[in-house]
Amino acid sequence: MGGFRLLEHTADMGIEATGDSLEEVFIEAARGLRSMIFGNIPIKAAQEVPVEVHGSDSEELLVGWLSEILYLFEVHALTPADFVVEHITASTLRAHVQGETFDPIRHLVEREVKAITYHQLSVARDAAGWRARLYVDL
Amino acid sequence: MTVKIQQIDDCRWRIPREGEMRTEGLVFADKKMIAALQKEQALEQVRNVATLPGIVGPSMAMPDIHWGYGFPIGGVAAFDAEEGVVSPGGVGYDINCGVRLLRSALPATEIKPVLAKLADTLFRNVPAGVGSERRDLKLSVKEEHKVLEQGAAWAVSHGYGSAEDLHHIEARGALPGADPEVVSERALERGRTQLGTLGSGNHFLEVQEVEQIYDPAVAEVLGLFAGQTTVSIHTGSRGLGYQVCDDYLKMMLQASRKYGIALPDRQLCCAPLTSPEGRQYLAAMACAANFAFANRQIITAWVRESFEQVLGLSPADLRLSVIYDVCHNIAKLETHTFEGKQRRLCVHRKGATRAFAPGHPETPELYRSVGQPVLIPGDMGRYSYVLVGTQGAMDETFGSTCHGAGRMMSRHAAKKAARGRNIEAELATQGILIRAAGRATVAEEISEAYKDVTNVVDVVQRAGIGKIVARLRPLAVIKG
Repeated sequence: MGGFRLLEHTADMGIEATGDSLEEVFIEAARGLRSMIFGNIPIKAAQEVPVEVHGSDSEELLVGWLSEILYLFEVHALTPADFVVEHITASTLRAHVQGETFDPIRHLVEREVKAITYHQLSVARDAAGWRARLYVDL
Repeated sequence: MTVKIQQIDDCRWRIPREGEMRTEGLVFADKKMIAALQKEQALEQVRNVATLPGIVGPSMAMPDIHWGYGFPIGGVAAFDAEEGVVSPGGVGYDINCGVRLLRSALPATEIKPVLAKLADTLFRNVPAGVGSERRDLKLSVKEEHKVLEQGAAWAVSHGYGSAEDLHHIEARGALPGADPEVVSERALERGRTQLGTLGSGNHFLEVQEVEQIYDPAVAEVLGLFAGQTTVSIHTGSRGLGYQVCDDYLKMMLQASRKYGIALPDRQLCCAPLTSPEGRQYLAAMACAANFAFANRQIITAWVRESFEQVLGLSPADLRLSVIYDVCHNIAKLETHTFEGKQRRLCVHRKGATRAFAPGHPETPELYRSVGQPVLIPGDMGRYSYVLVGTQGAMDETFGSTCHGAGRMMSRHAAKKAARGRNIEAELATQGILIRAAGRATVAEEISEAYKDVTNVVDVVQRAGIGKIVARLRPLAVIKG
């Protein structure tokens, strides 16, 4: 079973995600990001936007994936509810972001995330499964 | 990992050169600050920066140093224009995040009776927080390109403020060499709706009172007097800058491999200043910097309008004029004397401020006899400082000094400390009104979450890399 937790950092915050598969760890990391921005307010999965990301390894791929979610929110007002990974390799990700159009009345924002960083970034597999760690710029 | 550190004097510490380091590290701090720093990785980051090619002089950290991404926040590093590198991580995501300070002709006693109305009006007129924008400012792609090329001057030519404002902005509000063609579609998209917005987090708009003057002669030149109303604007290049940084980090990861630059941390990725990648980043960075200058210029116009609306005074009576506007996150090509020789350098200031000495040709004429104004915000419950640049900064730090207080508590710890308290009411008893858009903002930004900025400017002054002029106290704080 996968999950995520938010990490402490003096100036910023991080996400640690776990999962039985690379696919699951990417979904959990995205859920971590959603929780960092919106807390646990209800968001409807009323629409679905396809996403394709490339990277030179699974770590760069993770930064690309989460950056894509930030971009969809900021420019296309897609408030993320949940995530579906269709296909993932070490260098390519095809996924869907489910959500609804941002409504400032209902979608109270906890904090703005400026960017996903490469700082202490890791995606690795151990005996317990997959684990990813990343920090964001707030 | 512990980092070796040797005390030089009561405010300087050396990280001796070892391993892959090309130079030593130099940290400005007092004993207490160093003890706290050894618990986090900021010193390791000072050491990592010292490994980058073409670094000139030490890898430096100002007393507000804290753990950043790649470069520490509060980091200053200069690279030779021919042999050195440029690194987006040495500038940061919020390119030209900076501070602008406005002076007024009004004693604070005149605005205190209408402070709540003024705070509400500013909060309504200046968009703050995620997704907030002014409907009356819509940019076409063509106009956005002009913003990136012209910076604050674009805003002035569109009715936001006056040409006189431009004299009192670092680089006159426009970095040279900006090329919108090297800014991605995505960065342009993110910027289009965010020009004239404050953002969130540590960004703010503050109405202040000059609480104390430390150097009356310099204060007079800057137009500051005790009890005066001032306004500070702290924001940057918004989503456009974050995206430029993001895009170029990706490019620089490739470039570092291509040019065989060994990286102790991916976030330090860089390219030679003379390479196409290096030049392209500087051209894109200049665009983002100019966007930020335009952003602060537009917000300034809305601040003036808000004061006029609430106080019923004319611009001539208010005289809300720009003292200065400085960058806190930037890389700039500058000429400095190093070891007796004139050197062309790319000075990275990440969470650091340019602090040019009296007489420098880039300092506005009005201030040339006293030095370039340096604006150091503190936290929302205490105070901010105005300093001026010194010869000491020219001699030792490539004309650079600190930029702020620096966080001391994580956001989680700050929220915990704020739990069960009414922070707004606490601040109100101190005469400080707060208006914030984000749910978590007020709790995460409580005073206790920050170091006392007085300790930071005290070290800077003792080290001779800045001179304290005045202290400002917040009266009304607008946050995202």
